[in-house]
Amino acid sequence: MSDLLRRLSYSLTYLTLVSLCAVGMLAHRGPAELGLARRLVLSATLPLQRVVTFPVREGARLWNDYVGLIHVRKENERLRGRVGDLELENLQYREAIVSSERFQRLSGFRAKREVPMVPANVVAEDLSPWFQAVIIDQGSASGIGPGMPVITDSGVVGVVVGTTPGASKVLLILDPQSRVDVYIQRTRARGSVRGRSQQDCELAYVLREEDVRPGDLVLTSGLAAVYPKGLVVGEVSRVERLPHGLFQHAELQPAVDFRKLEEVFVILERRQLPADEEFSDDAEGLWPEAKQ
Amino acid sequence: MTGQLKLLGLGLGLLMLHALGTAVLPAGARPDLILVFALALGLRAAGTKALVLSFFLGFCVDVLSGSPLGLYAFLRGTACAATRLFDRALYLRAPILWALFVVCYALADALLMGLTLRLLVPEGTIPWSTILLRIPVSALMSAVLSVPLLSVLQRIDAEAQGEGGWTSLTSRVRS
Repeated sequence: MSDLLRRLSYSLTYLTLVSLCAVGMLAHRGPAELGLARRLVLSATLPLQRVVTFPVREGARLWNDYVGLIHVRKENERLRGRVGDLELENLQYREAIVSSERFQRLSGFRAKREVPMVPANVVAEDLSPWFQAVIIDQGSASGIGPGMPVITDSGVVGVVVGTTPGASKVLLILDPQSRVDVYIQRTRARGSVRGRSQQDCELAYVLREEDVRPGDLVLTSGLAAVYPKGLVVGEVSRVERLPHGLFQHAELQPAVDFRKLEEVFVILERRQLPADEEFSDDAEGLWPEAKQ
Repeated sequence: MTGQLKLLGLGLGLLMLHALGTAVLPAGARPDLILVFALALGLRAAGTKALVLSFFLGFCVDVLSGSPLGLYAFLRGTACAATRLFDRALYLRAPILWALFVVCYALADALLMGLTLRLLVPEGTIPWSTILLRIPVSALMSAVLSVPLLSVLQRIDAEAQGEGGWTSLTSRVRS
């Protein structure tokens, strides 16, 4: 009997571990708190990983800064001209904002102007070529939780999918598992941005009759319970209208350059789809915020 | 015990090297050191411990990447088990055959990954075009690094002969 068990121990161990993996994979449904084992592994490996990748990152940063300085004079002249144009444009926008605020007050809406954010540094990239995630150096100790959106000054980066007290894992919008509900600023056409493990994304589910052109700015719609409305996701880079089907196919160039992603901001606001009974609660509104 | 600790240390060291490779090398030219290590562990006679270590290292990759929890643990554990299975039919300890096996398995691993993802995320888009461009070069890089890694593992096993190393496995298979 013991001989039989010894012979089968390898197969039994394999089957047990595969079953555990299957349970883990099937239980994987979106952002959630990290379990104890994952927190331990992340906490143990992250400092090591940071030490290993730090010299490389700093070296690359120094090199980039040096190469960047060669073209800085030319760039300066171009930017001075651009600043003049933008100042003029800015004035018009200020005027528009003032008008907009007045209209909002009149109609009784209270727009939330400032949302609490935590700055964080990217300390590690995804180890797998199949997925697109990064690890940042701020975690639950700073108030960060799963499901919180991550942005930069350029646009949307992704969503927090797991946290430890000192670090968080962020699933980028480039990841094939990522979905961002969006609209096109010019025409208000709705769609969904999907990652495909490259530096660009796919803009899906845009109806065929909608007017979409390369260069159109794409913003978050605020309807998918993760990102607030109006964050820049990117720009349409290519549009393809197939002769059949309900939707047209488009590609999107993200506003964020993920190859140079170093600092990000985590919006400390977790949005959740309301439970069915909450739809009838007028005081809560249609999209009540989750309690932190 | 010392041999097992050395293997664990080597595995974690390779995980860090893997992270370094991610920061330094272009996406298409990154060797999958954890896959190579898991494959090499499949040649050990102390198989169950090696299998558990392969699963653990896969789990570490799961934690440090955006993959569904358990995906890499399953793939790396399976890689270890597959080597053990193939080692009964093929002689994988010769460097050329070993490198060839690593290339073939890395390609098969990508296929297995795609199939598993298809089962897990049916509505998801698998980036096949990206993967097909990246995997072959990555597999070749892995094969190149697999030969020195195998000799390191053989040395560790030779030192911890009592715990069951390559020599004992070879003699067991031949007998």
